[in-house]
Amino acid sequence: MADHEHISCQEVVELVNDYLDQTLEPDETSLFEQHINFCDGCDWYLNQMRTTISTVGRITEDEVPPETRDKLLSAFREWKRT
Amino acid sequence: MNAYKFLRTDGTGVFTRFAWPLPDRGPGEWVEAEPDPCRAGIHACRLGDLPYWAGRVLYEIELDGHVVEHKTKVVAPRGRLLRRIDAWDDAFRSGYTRYCADRAHEIARENGIERWEEVIEPSIPEGPALLGFVAARIADAAGGADAYHAERARQADWLAERLGLV
Amino acid sequence: MTEAGLQDRTAAEETELLARLRAGDERAFEALVERHYPTMLAVARHYVKTRAVAEEVVQDAWLGVLKGIDRFEGRSSLRTWILRILVNTAKTRGVREARSVPFASLAPQGDEPAVEPERFRSADDPFSGHWRAYPGNWQRLPDEALAERETLDVVLAAIHELPPPQRIVITMRDIQGCDPEEVCEALEVSEGNQRVLLHRARSKVRSALERHLDG
Repeated sequence: MADHEHISCQEVVELVNDYLDQTLEPDETSLFEQHINFCDGCDWYLNQMRTTISTVGRITEDEVPPETRDKLLSAFREWKRT
Repeated sequence: MNAYKFLRTDGTGVFTRFAWPLPDRGPGEWVEAEPDPCRAGIHACRLGDLPYWAGRVLYEIELDGHVVEHKTKVVAPRGRLLRRIDAWDDAFRSGYTRYCADRAHEIARENGIERWEEVIEPSIPEGPALLGFVAARIADAAGGADAYHAERARQADWLAERLGLV
Repeated sequence: MTEAGLQDRTAAEETELLARLRAGDERAFEALVERHYPTMLAVARHYVKTRAVAEEVVQDAWLGVLKGIDRFEGRSSLRTWILRILVNTAKTRGVREARSVPFASLAPQGDEPAVEPERFRSADDPFSGHWRAYPGNWQRLPDEALAERETLDVVLAAIHELPPPQRIVITMRDIQGCDPEEVCEALEVSEGNQRVLLHRARSKVRSALERHLDG
């Protein structure tokens, strides 16, 4: 891809997560950002993906069940004694 | 070296949203970054790079330290904004957009690829960066990568001359 | 810049918790359990059949962590080290449970476009690959649209429907904040496969959100 002069919207949607994770090569990043700069559709798509990631990030994580906590704490006290 | 930099209307970086210290009766403050091309570092345009990054407001920037040159941009560890290029305003952007649209029609007609013409006018509301791309893309369809770069160079010359940057 | 800052802070906190744990501080142990339990459970569930067995695997793994804590040298992140112990525990257990652990199927299968090809101009169109109609501008949505419970339920349902390899990767990366190395280590996948699985998972969740938000 480094030889390309430009990338299409259809390519942008496949590169968007690599862009966000900063794993694109420098030349790929340039082509990606040039495209985002001229194409409102892909700019909005990039924003949609950012919104998706932050919405997923709002999901609450599992809490430690009380019985697991109790078992682990007694194991810890046991470990401390030895 | 001196180069150019497009920012959003609120003075922030187009991709980083970094709030640049703007010049005010003198250069803005120096900004430092680790030069890891495309991830960190101060990104800027040479004159020939302007069409690839056409944005809302344009500044001249002074770069310092080891400047890494890429295909369509330069990256430096330090930079400060020297002055706003006032000639790059909304009217100028519209004029340049129209120039690119006219060139796009011309290339399509000259090369017998009229099928491309339907792409041009509907793109105009999105502004100069898209129209510059469309014109170069049509040149590419007609004559390949060399024609693409030739059209980009032609756009850069048009801009440099009319912005008084030559 | 801020992301790196956050990671540094987390690393500094972990170093401190680790020192207190070695000194026998029970609060430090509790804090570490709370911090790593969700990821450990998610990874364990990936290797064994039931939640009950996964719970046991997590508990056994913590015993392994306590036993080995003096040998941890900080060459990897603490979470990576804990996950490695967990995976070994889970695999031993998984074999005993005769679970057909789908290691090979973690490799992404086939072609899965992020967006339906029909939404782009076709190959015979001069502007091929360009959007026919742009996706929505979500910055124009009212804040409530994203904040409301229903939106979160759509995301939960979409994640639930993902193939298991994609589900575990998006859970670790985007819910639990693991970095790519931790995912690769825990699931024994290559960096490239991790990226593809995450990309496909996020793309599907985005599509589900789009159907919900833009109708």
